[in-house]
Order: sequence, then structure tokens, then C-alpha cells
Amino acid sequence: MNRRNFFAGAAAGMAATGVSRVALAALPEPAMQAGNATAPPLVPPNGRPYQPVVTLNGWTAPWRMNGGVKEFHLVAEPVVREMAPGFKVNMWGYNGQSPGPTIEVVEGDRVRIFVTNRLPEHTTVHWHGQRLPNGMDGVGGITQPQIPAGKTFVYEFTARRPGTFMYHPHADEMVQMAMGMMGFWVTHPKARHPLIDEVQRDFCFLLNAYDVDPGSMTPRVNTMLDHNIWSWNSRVFPGIDTLNVRHRDKVRIRVGNLTMTNHPIHLHGHEFTVTGTDGGPVPPMARWPEVTTDVAVGQMRQIEFLADEEGDWAIHCHKSHHTMGAMGHDVPTMIGVDHSGLVKKIQKLVPDYMVMGERGMADMGEMPMPLPDNTHPMMAGQGPYGPAEMGGMFTLLKVRREQPPGSYADPGWFRQPAGTQAYEFGGSPPPAASVAAPAQPQAALPSVRKPSGHSGH
Amino acid sequence: MRPLLRPGLLAAVLALAGCAAPSPDGYRGEIAALTAGKTAGVAAALPAPDADTGPLVAELLAQPLDAGAAVRIALLNNPGLRASFATLAISDAERVRAGRAPNPHFALGRFAEGDRLEIERVLSFNVLGLLTLPWRAEWQGRQTELAKLQAAQDVVRLAAETRKAWIRAVAAQQSAGYLRDVRDAAETGAELARRMARVGNWSRLQQAREQAFLADATAQLARAEQARVAARERLTRLLGLWGTQAQYALPERLPDLPAAVVEPTEVEAQALRQRLDVKSAVDESRYVAQSLGYVRATGVINALDLSYTRNTTFDNARGDKEAKRGWEVELPLPLFDWGQAGNARAQGLYLQSVARVQAVAVQARSEAREAYLGWRTAYDLARHYRDEIVPLRRFINDEMVLRYNGMLASVWALLADTRQNVLAVNSALEAQRDFWLADTDLQTTLSGTSPGALPALASSAAAGGEPQGH
Repeated sequence: MNRRNFFAGAAAGMAATGVSRVALAALPEPAMQAGNATAPPLVPPNGRPYQPVVTLNGWTAPWRMNGGVKEFHLVAEPVVREMAPGFKVNMWGYNGQSPGPTIEVVEGDRVRIFVTNRLPEHTTVHWHGQRLPNGMDGVGGITQPQIPAGKTFVYEFTARRPGTFMYHPHADEMVQMAMGMMGFWVTHPKARHPLIDEVQRDFCFLLNAYDVDPGSMTPRVNTMLDHNIWSWNSRVFPGIDTLNVRHRDKVRIRVGNLTMTNHPIHLHGHEFTVTGTDGGPVPPMARWPEVTTDVAVGQMRQIEFLADEEGDWAIHCHKSHHTMGAMGHDVPTMIGVDHSGLVKKIQKLVPDYMVMGERGMADMGEMPMPLPDNTHPMMAGQGPYGPAEMGGMFTLLKVRREQPPGSYADPGWFRQPAGTQAYEFGGSPPPAASVAAPAQPQAALPSVRKPSGHSGH
Repeated sequence: MRPLLRPGLLAAVLALAGCAAPSPDGYRGEIAALTAGKTAGVAAALPAPDADTGPLVAELLAQPLDAGAAVRIALLNNPGLRASFATLAISDAERVRAGRAPNPHFALGRFAEGDRLEIERVLSFNVLGLLTLPWRAEWQGRQTELAKLQAAQDVVRLAAETRKAWIRAVAAQQSAGYLRDVRDAAETGAELARRMARVGNWSRLQQAREQAFLADATAQLARAEQARVAARERLTRLLGLWGTQAQYALPERLPDLPAAVVEPTEVEAQALRQRLDVKSAVDESRYVAQSLGYVRATGVINALDLSYTRNTTFDNARGDKEAKRGWEVELPLPLFDWGQAGNARAQGLYLQSVARVQAVAVQARSEAREAYLGWRTAYDLARHYRDEIVPLRRFINDEMVLRYNGMLASVWALLADTRQNVLAVNSALEAQRDFWLADTDLQTTLSGTSPGALPALASSAAAGGEPQGH
């Protein structure tokens, strides 16, 4: 279907919804995004100037000035997001991608957002953290009727305070967020703000989690906590872009959590301070130095640091399951289990069988084996020295002296200067300590007879 | 009604009586002709009564026994079939005896009274027996015809039974092999579980669950082994084998399904045209109808004895003797029994035989329809298993391997799925077996005789079932 025609039709249908004819006549063409690369920062072509953010594997929505009002057009619609090369997931998103485009405005801007619903069910948009008239808050059934499928609603308010925000549905939100409906919102200060530093690099990403059965394409929306795809901006390592900065750049990273669990975000090689939350900038006296900040459910965190250490520094969620790709949660631990004599027997029945997990799970990273279609491997990341044995909520902060100012290009792998890398000890190693489990652990325990009628325990 | 007495006829009767002799090969040649194309798809020879079948049987047993060889051995060797031929020989002897004229009776009497001695010589001859000889000879000949048809049906049934027993024996052997694979999978899982528990990775509960699978699989295997032996012994009995001969080898697998089946047409007509039991009932009814004339003829006069008597009387006192000669005809007076009872019985027999023809025809038509539907369904089911269920199961198993590769599923899940896969293959084998059984039944039903109760197709839950307990 021709989008232009569709929106013309949607606009005609809107007359009945009671939106003013001015708004109707002014419905802007929605900007669409087909790719999933990190778009360069969108330098504002008009309106108040600001230092734009970079959305990891995402983009910023362009706008149109209309009588001093910034007009955006969000289209809620089914999309296919490539979460990693070759791993595609059916999602619901905005304007061609999940998450939707980042909306960047300046403190005091009047904002008008057209929301067209191309989903099979009704939706709304809640502007998470914004000060706005109650009727613009986007809680379906409470502050407004839901936007029916095929209709366009208009939200209009003033971005009153600077900070880091999100948008997401507040209609059937359990399903719609499990399907990827979300986006970032940044309100820049209109002038120098005493609590908001100027930075050279400003990154943002949302934490999201999906449950995609291996070999399938659509998330299971009823999963509560047992997700198997942990992602930033609906991308998983190694499919996620790196944060590339110039040495001694001041860096801000904005993180929003729309999963159903908290994520301790940990940065290597630097300490940072949390300079802002959903509530706004943190007063300097309240800022803590951290290397890990926990981003609770529904929260935003804004961290800042001086990138003064060259290298490839990991930044990841410290819940170790969250730096894995799809994995079986019912697989028992096989470590230390003797497989001798059994492998051939199993291979007689299952010819392609190979022992895995006997020594741990590192086999998985070292030995790529055929997986079900459209399944992201559990540990897919590879580095210059071998498998990274990680995936999911993981990427790298790349700090380079030679990185040009304003360039977000990936500089490649860091070459550690001679003598600055861990090395193998040249002498003779100490005798190996025995770590084998005792054959009969019970035998070593004192025999205790319970005062019961049972015997043999 | 035929005239009772005519010189020419008498001469014919005497000639017939002289000609009748037992069949030298026990009618095996005629029965082979009757059963041609009806012995479970095998051109099987019936051995002469005194033939030594040992070397031929030994030769057939030298290689793994295929279905054709099994049928041939059964026809050579089956003790029941030998008994059936003995019965036919008895019937044949009856026929020969019936074809001979009745022997004349000679009676000698000696009576004394004082000085008087009387010696009586009577030569009597059952005239009616002689006069009715053609009927009786013909009747007995027809009985032999019916006995031949009976024996031919026995041959057909034995061939079918043997073929079915062979199919069951091979399938049971294959099934036992599959259940051994299931047991192996369970054994591997249980052993791995034991090792898991030993190093502390699993609880005793989890280990016990795997152990329970093994225990269950072992019991199933024991049943399958017993079924294998039972099926094989049934075949052995039909083949009439014992001792070292009973250690014959069976092929490892059943023949493949035919790529395409030739649909039989007009199954009911074919059954009515070709079946031996239909032919037997029709023949019997015709004979009974013809015998009505005989019964009417003998209804009133059912005995006619002609005697020649010579009586010599010695008078010792007077020292002389005198002889009396004379003949007598003895026949019952139709005073009380005017033959109505005999006629009524014959009439009853006739009606009975007509009803039997109807019954056999109804049965043949119905069996033809049932056997055809059973055969068609069995073929479709077997193909469904072969082309749908087994490939699906195999695909599922392959996908499980991929999930195992990705550490998305455990080795126990993989083994449990493998068990399901093996059971599905086993169900496919059972469907294949059922097709060949139905095929044998169809052949028997359309061209041979009633196959007995046609089996319902076995139901199997293994194919679509989920792994149990996990």
C-alpha cells in the first residue's frame, strides 16, 4: 500500500475525531527508517540550537516547524527489527523501527505530535516523565480514549523541563511493550544550565527484553521475567554498535529501562557520576562516583565521565545472564559429569550428538554449531583474541586519541601498547590443586539418624 | 424319474463299479489347479504323499526366509495340511467303495429236529442297492469334489496364515529392535543421571525419574521380546519345523510398501466369481437338488432284496433227502412310511443348502468390501506414517539437536525426543505390517476363501504423543 495514500485516507477519517481542521490540514509526512545503523546526530536545522544526542543503533525524528510549534509524526506499526545480523524479530514499533525515533526538543518548545495507529489494536502514547496537561498524558481510558486502529490522534504540550525521558504506550502496554513499542525523548536545556554540563558525546539507549523462542520470529508477550533476548535499543551484541569517542571527550550516556527487571549498568576503565534521573539533573552534592549504576524498572539514568583512558572498554549489564543470547533455562549443569562410554551410545541414536557443558559453557563460544533458524547464539561475540563469550546487553566504549572530533566511526580493535597487556607467566606453574568432587560426599558426613520412622536416608 | 431297471444301465453300473479306484496323488494335482494364484502370491507346489520334502525344505531354510519361501515350506511341511489331505484320502476311499456294486449275501442255516436235518442256503442280493448304484456313486463323487474344494480352501488358508505369521514375525523382530533402541536411550539417560547425581549436579529425585524411565523401557522391551518369540513360534508351527530347522533366520525388515497400488475393481464380483467357499456352497446346493430325484425314487421302496434259496432236508430215519428251491423278493410295505419323512428331509437339506449359498454369498460380498476398505486404509495409513509422521519426527529430532547445540535444551530432552522418534518409527513399522496383513487378507478374500475375522487396524498413540514425564 502506498503510504502517502494511506495517510491521506487516515487524514480524511480524522475529521470525525474532533481534531481541529488546522491540525488536520497540517499533518506532516512521517519520516521512516529502514536501516538499523546508528544514525549521525541530527543537527537542528531550525528552532533553538542544541547539542544533539546519538541514539545507539537508532535515529532522531526530524520535525517541521509550524507556526512556532515543532511537529512530529509517529506511526505505530508492525515492524521487523534485525536484532543482530541474521536474527530478525517481528515487533511493533514506530516509523519502521523498534525502538521508535528519538524525539529531541529544547526546553520551552511547543511540541505537537501526530500519532497514527497502524497496529491491529488501539494504542496511546504516554510521555514518560513529562510535565503536561493531564489530557495529554496518554493513559488510555483514563485521560483519553484509546487511539483506534487506523486513526490519528494529536498530542500537544510544552516541553517544560530539560532531561531524559521516554515514550511508550499506556494501552495494552504489557503486550505492546513486550512487542517493542518504545522510544527515547531528550529535552535539551534552552541555555547553559548550572546542573547540566556540556559534553562532546551524548549517547542514549533503552533497555529492553524479549522472549523469542529459538527458531521463531515473534516475541512471546506473556513472558513475565524469563526473557531470553536482553537488548539495548532492540539490538544484541555483537550486533550492537560501539560507543566511539575521542580521548578526553566528556561523555554522557542516557539509559532508560523498559524491561521488567533492573539492570546494573557497568562501565570498565572509568568511574562516572550519575548526573540525572527521570526527575531531572542531580544536584552536584548528591552525585556519587560509580562504576555500576542500577537502572530500576521504568527509570532513567544519565551518567557522565571523562574518557581519559584509551582502549576498548566493556560496558554491560552486570546480570551475567543478560550478556547471553538465547539460552535454555532448563538445562542442567553438566560440569564435572563424566561422559566416558556414553557418547558413542548417544551417537548411535543421535548421530550429530556432541558432548557440551562437561567443562563449562565456554564450548559454546569456541565451537560454533548449527542452531535452529533465526536464533541468536548464546555467546556470539568475538574479539581480536578469541570469543568474547558474551552477547545481549553488552558493547564497548572505544576511546582513541586519533578519533576525529565529532566522528562516530568505529576505529576497530585497540592495540595495547607493548608491556600493557596481561601475559603468560614464563616460570613453572605451581602443582595443580585437586578440584574434583568427592565420589561419595555423604560418606564424609557424620551419620545422623533422624528421630523418625523412615530408614535408609 | 429314471426307470429302475434297464439292462444297459445295469451294464454301465457294473462297468462303473469296476472302474472306480483311489486317486494316486491324493488329488494334489487337482487341488494345485484349484488353488493356482490363490496361495498368497506364491506358485506353491503340493508334495506327493510319499515325497521326501526334507532336502527342499533345507534348501529353502539355507537363506533368510522370505515370505514366499515360508509359504512353500508350509505347503510342503505343515502337519495340519497333511491331516487335511488324509481326510481327503478317506473321502476318496468312500467314493471308491460307493462306486462298487453291493456284495451278494450268502446265508447258510442248519436246523435239526429229531431225525430230521434241514440245511438252508440262501443267496440274496440287494437289488435296489445295485439299481441305485449310479446315484450313490455320483453322490459320493460329488462329496469328493466338495472335499477337494475343502482341502483347496485349507491350502489357501494355510498359505495366507503362513504369510501373515511371517509378516508378524518379521515385524515383531523389528519392533523388538526399536524398543531395544528406546531402552538404550533410557539407559544412557539413567547412567548420565547417576553420574550427575554423583558429582552433585542433580538431586536424587531427578536421578530417580530417569531411573524410572529406564525401568519402564526395560519392561517394554521384555514384552516386545516375548512378542517376538511368540510370533516366530507361531510361524514355526505353521512351517511344521522343529529341532535345528527351527533356528531359521528371518530378514531384517518387511518389504517396502508398493510405490503405487493397483486398485482392484469390482471386488464383490471378483469374490463371487473366484472364491472356493462360494463355489463349494453352489456345488453342494446343486448336488443336493439333483439328489432329490434319488430320494423320491427310493422314498416308497427303500429296500428290495432278491434271494435265491435252496433248502435241503435230510431225514435220517428214512435215509432220504429232499431239496426245495425257490426265490423270494423282500420289500417293505409302504403302509406307514410312505417316504414323506425322507422326502421332507431331502427337501430340508435342499433348502438348507440354498440358504447356505445365500449366506456364503452375503459373507463373500461383505468381506470383499471390508477387506478392500481395510487394505486401502492400511495402505494410506502406512504411507501417511512413512511420508508424514516419520519425516516430521525426524525433523523434530533434528531441530532438537540444534537446540541441544545451542544449549537451549538438555541432553535428556534430546534423549526423550529420540525415544519418541524411535517409537514413531516403530508405529510406522506397525502400519507397514498392517498393510501387508491387509494385503494378504484381501487376496484371500477376493480369490480364495473367507479369511476369518478381519482385524481392526491397530491404534498407536506414540507418533503424535508428547514426551512423557518431562
